[in-house]
Amino acid sequence: MSAFFSPFISKPDTVSAIMLKVLLALLPGIALYVWYFGPAILVSITLASLTALATEAAMLKLRKRPVAPFLKDNSALLTAWLLALSIPPLAPWWLIVVGTAFCIAVAKHLYGGLGNNPFNPAMVGYAVLIVSFPVQMTHWVTPLGMGATELSFVQQLQYIFSGILPGGLTLDAVTMATPLDTLKTQLHLAHPANEILTQPIFSSLAGHGSEVVAIGFLIGGLYLLASKIISWHLPVAFLGTLFLVAGIFHLADPSHYVAPVFHWFSGAAMLGAFFILTDPITSPTTHKGKFIFAAGAALLTYLIRVYGAFPDGIAFATLLMNICVPLIDAYTQPKVFGKKEKKA
Amino acid sequence: MRRTLVKASLHTALNVLFFTVIGTFLLAITFFQTRDRIAQSEQTEKLKLISQLIPSSSFDNDIVADAQHLAPDALLGTTTGGTAYRARLHDQPVGVVLEAVAPDGYSGRISLIIAIKADGTLGGVRVVEHKETPGLGDYIDIAKSDWIQGFDGKSLTPQHDADWQVKKDGGQFDYMAGATITPRAVVKAVHKALQYFALHRTELFMQNSPASPDKGRRGGVKESTK
Amino acid sequence: MTSQEMKDIFYNGLWKQNTGVVQLLGMCPILAVSSSVVNGVSLGLATAAVMALSGAAISPIRHAVPNEARIPVFILIIAVLVTVIQFAMNAYVHALYLVLGIFIPLIVTNCIVLARIEAFAAKQPPLQSAMDGLAMGLGLSAVLAVLGGLRELFGHGTLLSGIDMVFGAGAKSWVITVVPNYHGFLLAILPPGAFVTLGLLIAGKNYMSQRAAANEQRKPIKPAVVTA
Repeated sequence: MSAFFSPFISKPDTVSAIMLKVLLALLPGIALYVWYFGPAILVSITLASLTALATEAAMLKLRKRPVAPFLKDNSALLTAWLLALSIPPLAPWWLIVVGTAFCIAVAKHLYGGLGNNPFNPAMVGYAVLIVSFPVQMTHWVTPLGMGATELSFVQQLQYIFSGILPGGLTLDAVTMATPLDTLKTQLHLAHPANEILTQPIFSSLAGHGSEVVAIGFLIGGLYLLASKIISWHLPVAFLGTLFLVAGIFHLADPSHYVAPVFHWFSGAAMLGAFFILTDPITSPTTHKGKFIFAAGAALLTYLIRVYGAFPDGIAFATLLMNICVPLIDAYTQPKVFGKKEKKA
Repeated sequence: MRRTLVKASLHTALNVLFFTVIGTFLLAITFFQTRDRIAQSEQTEKLKLISQLIPSSSFDNDIVADAQHLAPDALLGTTTGGTAYRARLHDQPVGVVLEAVAPDGYSGRISLIIAIKADGTLGGVRVVEHKETPGLGDYIDIAKSDWIQGFDGKSLTPQHDADWQVKKDGGQFDYMAGATITPRAVVKAVHKALQYFALHRTELFMQNSPASPDKGRRGGVKESTK
Repeated sequence: MTSQEMKDIFYNGLWKQNTGVVQLLGMCPILAVSSSVVNGVSLGLATAAVMALSGAAISPIRHAVPNEARIPVFILIIAVLVTVIQFAMNAYVHALYLVLGIFIPLIVTNCIVLARIEAFAAKQPPLQSAMDGLAMGLGLSAVLAVLGGLRELFGHGTLLSGIDMVFGAGAKSWVITVVPNYHGFLLAILPPGAFVTLGLLIAGKNYMSQRAAANEQRKPIKPAVVTA
């Protein structure tokens, strides 16, 4: 997006209302998250929200902008929630604080604040964290009903803030790799895909527990579609392309490439399709542009998941496509009616 | 017109030639001035690395010169061959330093040097080059953690091959949660190198016909910055 | 050479036309070797040496080289000087040579070297040219020092790590651990960190220059001091 604001930004109360609806739409996913993985996620969301608001206020002060109206627009909160949902809930407290502060200070305000940031701030924060702290970013809570020791809320809190686990427990006993990561590691060891998917971490659609959370985000996304906050182009193009590419690979060699449904319901695919790519500031303005943008993101996500060094590809795919937005916008802008093409 | 063009070209050519000659002369001088010192530095560097694995008091031969070129071998994971440096005390074999490659790291090949004592126990292992994820798989590097020292003193366990695995797979070697592919690759490569040593022990310690340690970069015993 | 000329040359090289944060030339080594103070400053000084020597070497022969053979001859001279320095580093600071690796020979292709030769040494007397090369090189070293320092500090929590590669094992105790038991912030050490930090440095430089310019405007005009 260039120097001028999108029309809706001229009325801060509207932005605030839209953002509030998006936050509401995240609630079913979050509720299911708490059910399967324990309440630790609520701690990260709270930490992220507080950091986001504090950083936002500090940056606005530094930039000599009015603090109150921008703080009330809820956009910083949305960034904070999206980041908190992308990182392991049991990560140490400073991880989410550093990540959120980076999102708001660097990815948002150094680029000129709301409306001017070319990159999705939450995804910038995620990229910074996964690159800088890969160890802390790979310890995910084991979902309910996997036979692992379950930590109580107090124990989880204690671990997040002090790094101390209750007597005799190792981090390995309460955490595990994500389904996507496990799949990748096992494929690396030359196990066939269908054999890997019989392990207890996997369920009928994708990963045990995480697939249900993905459904939660899908429901929230459908609510956003129904209330016309997002248009259908981005999610449909994203999920469609992901399905198509994964389907082609799966048909060609099912022992190496898992079914497209697995890709839909694992990692951040649903969150990405409805909540991340749909950020109006960092996505193209035209329908055609949105199609290209989302299809490109899906293709990159798939390639990173299958061939890349990182377990999930949504963040990097989104950032790479964010760079292309000005170009996509320039080529998909409808011709101005009545203007004759110049003859060179 | 033609004459002047020829003349101009000739002038230019001679000019460039003149500077080339001066440049070559300068380079030649510097080369001869620094040659011995460079060779010495390279030797010390190699020795420094080797002596981390085999204490320099335990041998008395010129270990860098007492090298043998090894043909590519599947057990060593080498595709272009490698070098074996032999340590001897009073002409009796003390140990050998082998170059080996773990081909199946998380992001590609991991180059190792492995010191094996004459009795078949490991003197030590070092990673000389790798592309593992920084902060995650790079703990195999001695600069990042002392994980690699877990190999010190280990040897083949013919009765119980399963020991040569990381603990997660039921073996004896530590690993860091979240990064098991990298240590698996290294453990496997060291295990194979020990098997290679067991098969080729006598040839490895054979005295060289007037040795020609292959020169330059090929030696690969070089601390990497990656 | 007048002292004013000297002052201008150094003001240009170190601040106004700084290669690292103003001209943005030779970004490849700047980004690649600035992961620590020692690496950054070492390559910066090597580049400064090449620039000063090549300025001094090329300026006297600037009339003897025909125009069309200019670039090959200049590059030849630069390449010779770089190779000499490479030999010297390989011989005397071998460990550092291994760390800087490919970036030493690559000084030849660093566009800032040829750019200063073309823009300055090919038109000015030897002393001035050598000083210009030195000033530009020192400006680059300063940026590399700050960049390397910031990246090392945020990445590892230390300063001057690797100093023993230059001054021998005895210098190991010179390493300053600023933050003990630091978690490490890998981003600062990895290439993206170089871009981010350099971007912040450029922003800082622009901020200071703009503020200085604004102050200048507010001040009443002083009578110029004439120096001979």
